[in-house]
Amino acid sequence: MNSKIGAKDLITLGIFTVIYFVIGAALSLLVSIPVMVPFFPAIWALINGTVFMLYTTKVEKFGLVTLMGVLTGLLVGLTGMGFWCAPTGLAFGLLGDFIMKKGNYKSFKHNLIGYAIFSIWTSGSLIPWYFFAQDTLAKYTQGGYSADYGTQVLAYTPWWSLLLFVGLNFICGLLGALIGKRIMKKHFEKAGIL
Amino acid sequence: MPASELLASPSNRKGIRFDPRTKLFLLITLCTLILSTDNSGLMLYLKPLLALIPFVLLLLSAKYWAGFLYFVLYVLGFVLELSWGAFGNGVSGFIVLMVSAIITRFTPCVIAAFFLMTTTSVSEFIGSMKKMHITDKITIPLSVVFRFFPTVKEDAGAINDAMKMRGITPKNPMLMLEYRVVPLIISTVKAGEDLSCSALTRGLGAPQKRTNMCDIGFHLWDWLIFGICFCYILIFCFQNQICSLLNL
Repeated sequence: MNSKIGAKDLITLGIFTVIYFVIGAALSLLVSIPVMVPFFPAIWALINGTVFMLYTTKVEKFGLVTLMGVLTGLLVGLTGMGFWCAPTGLAFGLLGDFIMKKGNYKSFKHNLIGYAIFSIWTSGSLIPWYFFAQDTLAKYTQGGYSADYGTQVLAYTPWWSLLLFVGLNFICGLLGALIGKRIMKKHFEKAGIL
Repeated sequence: MPASELLASPSNRKGIRFDPRTKLFLLITLCTLILSTDNSGLMLYLKPLLALIPFVLLLLSAKYWAGFLYFVLYVLGFVLELSWGAFGNGVSGFIVLMVSAIITRFTPCVIAAFFLMTTTSVSEFIGSMKKMHITDKITIPLSVVFRFFPTVKEDAGAINDAMKMRGITPKNPMLMLEYRVVPLIISTVKAGEDLSCSALTRGLGAPQKRTNMCDIGFHLWDWLIFGICFCYILIFCFQNQICSLLNL
């Protein structure tokens, strides 16, 4: 098997990145409610599990998961949600790639854990709230948004909750992958996509 | 279906041509500066001017209708944002503030992205990315992404209609996943397989270095836009010093 990434792989990557990103962007409307901000990464991971599980059936080469993380991170940044997701996409994409490579992208167990790890990249959107809380708050207060929004989000994100929400993100990744597996069995195999 | 293609084909284009790199740089400048600045000091006057650039560019590229719409929307949003106090501190004032803040922050970026996509063909995009020495691993997926946004949008609309016609209005989110997301994935993946075949027959996967017929290079207008963007970034970095210098 040719292990170099070719044009066909890159096109597949582009197609799945579109679906992955569009669904995520549609979900991001939830963020206008302050309490949803820390839950947003988990929801993204839960819903997109289906897309990713289908993607794993097309991926056989190392690096494609990493590239998906970086690309989605860049798109998230370009649409004005902050560029923190690009480095986290790179880091967790690599981790996910390593895990899934172990099962040669075929073993469901490795794909399951790989996806859950990979999807933690969305927690990059929480970095401004946890590590630069004062700057972020100042930005929201001066930036015309209501000051309430910032203070409310911060009220839901005390420092110790970071682990909690990242953990939730991971668990929702597992759940999303399991749901994705079931949906794949139910719909995609029948439709001849696999 | 040429109307639904987001990346323009070179034949149906009017007006001045810009280098894709200029458009990309403008997009990044707008996204970072407009989203990360507030309405105090110098930026109060400079930000609307920055937001005006995409408007001028749209006019120069003969996209009068989009330019006009954008101009009206932005001016409306900006005026509302400055005068939201007049609506009181209650719920109505809050809503006005939210809506106007979203308009003034996001429309310039969205319109700059729209400008980039509607005036750049796929070949030009790939050619200019090549000139910036960005690897195919980023360029190819990214051009597929841009190519597919309108397709996904169209398909989502069609699926929505179909579900309405069948009387399916899912209330719980799990059903939503089955009735909306699954068909969307299927249709996009199918379309993607076709695209993949057609791109490969055009030699995208060939080991040779690909040639490009597009005329990509910097002209007077490009230098002008680049200069303006650089000035803005400099002003943004040193805005506190400039303010104290001018006693603002």
